[in-house]
Amino acid sequence: MSAEVSAALFTAAAYGALLVACAVPLSGYLVNVMEGRQARARRIVGPVERGAFRLLRVNPDDSMGWKRYLVCVVAFTGVSIAGLFVLLVAQGALPANPEGFGGLPADTALNMAVSFATNTDWQAVAGESHLSYLSQAAGLAVQNFLSPAVGIAVAFALMRGLWSAGDGRLGNFFADVVRVTLCVLLPLSLVLSIALASQGVPQTFQGYETVQLLEPVAVDEAGTVVAADDPAAVEEVTEAVVPLGPQASQVAIKQLGTNGGGFNGANSASALENPTPLANLLECLAILLLPFTLILSFGRMVADRRQGRALLACVLILLAAGTAVLVGAEFQATPQLSQDGAVYTGSLSQAAGNMEGKECRIGTAGSAIWTAFTTAAANGSTNASLEGLTPIGTLVPLVFMGLGEVVGGGAGTGLAALVGFAVLTVFIASLMVGRTPEYLGKKIGPTEMRAAVVMVTAPALVILLAAAGLCLAPAGAVPVGEGGPAGFAEVLYAAVSAGANNGSALAGLDADAPLVNIVLAGAMVAGRLIPVACALGLAGSLARREPVAAGPGSLSTASPLFVFLLLMIIVLVGALTLLPALALGPLAEQLGTLA
Amino acid sequence: MHGNQWVRAILRSAVLLLAATALLGVLYPLAVCAVATAAFPAQATGSLIAVDGVTYGSALVGQPFREPGHLWGRPTVADASTFTTEDGERLLWYGPENLSPASDEFAERVAARVEAVRAAHPDQGDTPVPSELVTVSGSGFDPHISPAAAEYQVGRVAVACGRTEEEVRAIIRQCTERPLLGAIGEARVNVLKVNLMLDGIL
Repeated sequence: MSAEVSAALFTAAAYGALLVACAVPLSGYLVNVMEGRQARARRIVGPVERGAFRLLRVNPDDSMGWKRYLVCVVAFTGVSIAGLFVLLVAQGALPANPEGFGGLPADTALNMAVSFATNTDWQAVAGESHLSYLSQAAGLAVQNFLSPAVGIAVAFALMRGLWSAGDGRLGNFFADVVRVTLCVLLPLSLVLSIALASQGVPQTFQGYETVQLLEPVAVDEAGTVVAADDPAAVEEVTEAVVPLGPQASQVAIKQLGTNGGGFNGANSASALENPTPLANLLECLAILLLPFTLILSFGRMVADRRQGRALLACVLILLAAGTAVLVGAEFQATPQLSQDGAVYTGSLSQAAGNMEGKECRIGTAGSAIWTAFTTAAANGSTNASLEGLTPIGTLVPLVFMGLGEVVGGGAGTGLAALVGFAVLTVFIASLMVGRTPEYLGKKIGPTEMRAAVVMVTAPALVILLAAAGLCLAPAGAVPVGEGGPAGFAEVLYAAVSAGANNGSALAGLDADAPLVNIVLAGAMVAGRLIPVACALGLAGSLARREPVAAGPGSLSTASPLFVFLLLMIIVLVGALTLLPALALGPLAEQLGTLA
Repeated sequence: MHGNQWVRAILRSAVLLLAATALLGVLYPLAVCAVATAAFPAQATGSLIAVDGVTYGSALVGQPFREPGHLWGRPTVADASTFTTEDGERLLWYGPENLSPASDEFAERVAARVEAVRAAHPDQGDTPVPSELVTVSGSGFDPHISPAAAEYQVGRVAVACGRTEEEVRAIIRQCTERPLLGAIGEARVNVLKVNLMLDGIL
């Protein structure tokens, strides 16, 4: 292993340790907030919280059954989609639009509304060139708060179901959303956004800046830059644009809430969204902070912290493996880049390896670690162009997303998927030794198994159906950037990203085509609501079961053996569903480079 | 499940969305704006570099440089079709390359860039070209290049702008930022700042 790769892996390990160190205290705070017993935070946000409950006419102690909880989730998601859709379509006639952008076409607006309300943040069009400040701040950023809040609410409903004494109650949806938003998401975002602004992320409501180019460039009729002596040159462009806006406040919650939709099309690869190594460090840690916190909250909620640690151990092993592969791949320059040694890709006074699509200040290591984190969590923000990854580098994000949001995953939904896999593991392990399956003192029956199996397999089914649908479309309806395996990889990546609610993209695919917009919108809704419905169904069924005391024959779900079994089940399900598709895309492409 | 259960859930959702929009979509960004503009006025407004009333750019947005007397940055994929001024004048903006580094098209583009860079730097002979001079960044407007990529150009820049190589190196050093704590991120040279200093503007 080269020195750069070891240094990068050491950095990644340090990031992981730092994250766990932050997640431990935060998980205690989060549980107190959600259970309505956080005294210190209550003194500050208490009046706001009580005001919100009065406004909503919600009694936080009015605990809901799983069906009512699900109705609230579906209703809230629907209202969010509708509200954001109207805002995006009508932005041309609304204020805070200094660049005078018109409303989005209906298919684009629908795709974007679904995308942000389902915590996916897939972006069919670039924000800086299509969206007004109002759409960004009051539309996208608001969903960046609310969609993770909904996910976290569902996770707590599930945890209450596992730990309830048999009354079937899961908590109050509206109280959960209000509490986590006011006491956790908002304070964290305030601190992070001001830290980011100090590093150079713009935060202003003034319009874009026009600046003088030091070297004017010639452009042709279509606006493409050409050489000054090119006969097609029709005009000299002397000025450039600097997009500004309320970016810091949006970037902060984009990173914290496993959202990932950038203010700018280039996302955090843009130096405006991610100006310095310190900003990059903070944004990168923010990606996995809440997913890790939720996993550790699980242990606290079921009054056995070892249970949370066991799940976190499983996630950390998968994360470490994926990060190592990705880092190793990106420090290898492809033959197409190194040009038989004509291009220097070593580490003397520069970042080594594959710098295509990567930023100088972030480097190979910083980009590879971020890419692993952002697809492990269902975040999807990027600090490099994913299309510029080596083929094996592309494989890791695909596998992480394809495993179904379990390696950290979305805020709340990641934990729910992990619990689904744990239930499946308990069932299989118990059958192997002929015992009645039970998890955390609750018997696992047919109802629970149905919910868990649908929950862990639904995202894969949605992904494969969406990918198949896009591949069967008539020529031209799906505008891929490249042909052959690379083009298939672009389509597969889009389907995986939508179905797994991630939102990152291989941007060679021109995503703003009506068919792509609509197929992916459907995949995002199904990929969000089916697992959520299963999680709540599982919770409701478990909540009605009386806890049974653990006997000598009970399977310990906090042991290394269980972690190993859980890992195997996750990898097996993921491999069985996605391996054939992966073989046609990135694997075929990688083999092609060797030919 | 009753119909009125849905109606109540939808009404509550609508109220919650409106209240959240007021708090998180209006008050929150305005509050961050107020703090950021008071505490970090230059950073919060785009890190613009203005001299004598002319704004030459943002320290965070790269520009295309190809004149021999200027330091060159990463290759840009620029276009002037996205943004215009109010009177319809075209403005330059950038995008990523979005090419797989394992594709034939990528190989051809890199080969062409290597040839162009080598033709402009006869003093470097067959020295391998630093990778950042022939790869497009993730944003397409990377404001920086590595110290290796800057050093490669020193000879050409010095001859073209009539300075000694040491003078050029001194300017590059002034515009170089180090990694955080020596380990996080990379050392980088701000190309626009170097060129403004070479031109005697900054």
